[in-house]
Amino acid sequence: MRKVAWCLVLGILLAGCGQGNQETDKSTITIWHWMTDREPAFQELAKRYVAKTGIKVNFELYAPSDAYAQKVHAAAQGATLPDVYGILGEKRDFASFVKAGHVLNLTPYMNDLLGSWKNRFFAKALAVNEFPDGNIYKVVPGIYGVPIDIMTIEMLYNKDLFKKLGLDPNRPPATFKEFIEIGKLLKAKNMQGLVSGWSEVWMIDCLANNYAFNIMGEDKVLATIRGEVPYTDPDWITVLGLFKEMRESGVLANGTVTMVNKTAEQLFATNKAVFAFNGSWCVNVYKGMNPVLNYAVMLPPKASDKHPMSIWEGAGSSFMVNARSKNKEEAVKFLKWLTDGEQQVYLAEVTSNLPANKDCLEKISPILAQFADDMELATHPNIWGVSEFPLVTETLDRGIQSIVIGEKTPEQVAADVQKVKEREQAKKRS
Amino acid sequence: MKSELYYKSKKITLNILIHLFLISVAITCLYPLLWMISSSFKTQDIIFSDISLIPRHFHFENYINAWREGGFGRNFLNSIIYTASVVFGIVIISSLAAYAFARLRFPGRNLLFIMFMAAMMIPIPGSFVALYVLLNKLHLRNTPIGYILCMINVGLSTSIFLLKTFFDKLPKELEDAARIDGCSKLGIWWHVALPLAKPVLAVVVVFNALSVWNEYILALIIFDSRKFMPLQVALKTFQGEFVTNYPLLMAGLTITALPIILVYLFMQKYIVNGVTSGSGIRMKKLFNV
Repeated sequence: MRKVAWCLVLGILLAGCGQGNQETDKSTITIWHWMTDREPAFQELAKRYVAKTGIKVNFELYAPSDAYAQKVHAAAQGATLPDVYGILGEKRDFASFVKAGHVLNLTPYMNDLLGSWKNRFFAKALAVNEFPDGNIYKVVPGIYGVPIDIMTIEMLYNKDLFKKLGLDPNRPPATFKEFIEIGKLLKAKNMQGLVSGWSEVWMIDCLANNYAFNIMGEDKVLATIRGEVPYTDPDWITVLGLFKEMRESGVLANGTVTMVNKTAEQLFATNKAVFAFNGSWCVNVYKGMNPVLNYAVMLPPKASDKHPMSIWEGAGSSFMVNARSKNKEEAVKFLKWLTDGEQQVYLAEVTSNLPANKDCLEKISPILAQFADDMELATHPNIWGVSEFPLVTETLDRGIQSIVIGEKTPEQVAADVQKVKEREQAKKRS
Repeated sequence: MKSELYYKSKKITLNILIHLFLISVAITCLYPLLWMISSSFKTQDIIFSDISLIPRHFHFENYINAWREGGFGRNFLNSIIYTASVVFGIVIISSLAAYAFARLRFPGRNLLFIMFMAAMMIPIPGSFVALYVLLNKLHLRNTPIGYILCMINVGLSTSIFLLKTFFDKLPKELEDAARIDGCSKLGIWWHVALPLAKPVLAVVVVFNALSVWNEYILALIIFDSRKFMPLQVALKTFQGEFVTNYPLLMAGLTITALPIILVYLFMQKYIVNGVTSGSGIRMKKLFNV
């Protein structure tokens, strides 16, 4: 017993002998990230970079993303951030890092050589990393992040199940009316329609906003957020009414409203649902679940011809350069190299993510390219310049869930949302 | 007057109902474990298309791949060192502290004990940033000793509470006898109190071992170097933001679960004693199990 005890004490002492490598090495760029699925590709690119330049790049993976976010926050407090890292969370978190001096303003580098670096990205992907003039966060205007890849959220349909329904697999429904008509076919053939992770309410928010943009246009949506248009406006009732129509037509799969996205992905991948509403990351997910899945991407069917349909797009992942890093110049050079066409195509091939570099779309897989096709219709709350009260968004999303399960009418939900909006506005004023 | 047959059939019916209930509870507990083992032998697409528990083809290579791709070798050793060191530290410090709280009279004793108890109420994530900054200032961040000290601190208050409750009930006559035989206070703790506290110590050992073995968030925050990470962090390499490599994850989980199942099996006798001696009930409430 005594020997065991001494062995353990020795173990503690030996374990304590390990020293942390907190010193920054000038010839090594350290990058913290959370992207487990991209880790092997990053390691391969690091090898290629050291072979090309002699500069070592050390990618350090910290997953899952919530633990990673905590680590980055703690490191910011302790001033031990690496040369390059990603900031997870909302734009206000990003802004707080910038204001604390943890993020390098990349605008001069982006604009260098007539903006050759800046021009290679999708504008919307860059906008997510940008703080424009007069931004509400009062951050010095500029570009503070480099998008590595992007994502869009669209609808998908199963071509094989389309054939079973007697539909043309190359002609998905273009209008909401056509989409609703498919509900009747689904009911008759006892098949499941649209699946999506609507228990994670942000996906409902996304589709609701798509239709709000389509029915009333961007200006009116933003005016609603600014408090100039009430949620009880007939256009908003129409948006909410679409969810009622979806429920009544049978175009929604059973249990969609309480479904987590993983379940929705599994149902679509195993040919059990005809439609899915999902992000471009699903290409990789479906490939793993069912490599022979025969599907295609479609825009959410238009409910109105007044305004274009919109889709959400976001910077799938972005890297920021530590403004206090001794290696910041080298880090910027590496990020320029990483976002070059060759490296972007490699990343897209290996990870099945949409590249942020718009010049390499021709070289990526056809299904990924379909996600990129509608990029001109893309938008995202982070680039609207105004933001809704979180409680209002939550009431809207929960309200839509209530409509889908038949608990509330669109009018009731609109009234509930407006009530919360007025309460939040009054709180803000006081 | 009811016949013997009535009582017999009543007893049999009751037994059947109890056993049916117990079987359903056992299935509920065992099914996830069996699914984990079964999935560890399948491929990614088969997991989603074939839900049977017995795979048609056994992919043993999943274990080799999980071990290699997750870098389990080094992480496995780290986890063993961390678990052993932390549990040893907790047992020594908490038993000494609990014995002092139970037997010694010193000023501020109750206040100090209340402070220890209050520490139990602070969730670990709430102290991450503070711990990070503190360790950084002490130059202990990204060192195993820093992590071990943090984890000892995490498990200390609950263990002190359990042991103090046990020592409070220990007959003083035993200690008096030891004192007459010439034992010092430290000697009484080592020769009398600790051997008698074996059932409670077993509970402290098992639950702290489990807690350290399964911990990864604090490790992820404190360590920068992969070489210091525990086993649980290696498991996360199979779980992406959107894509999870289920076969390797399940193989990795099976490997990870084995040592802790063995600890349970070896210490089962003591755990039962600990539970029946009463400490287990308190322990169950504390650990919320």
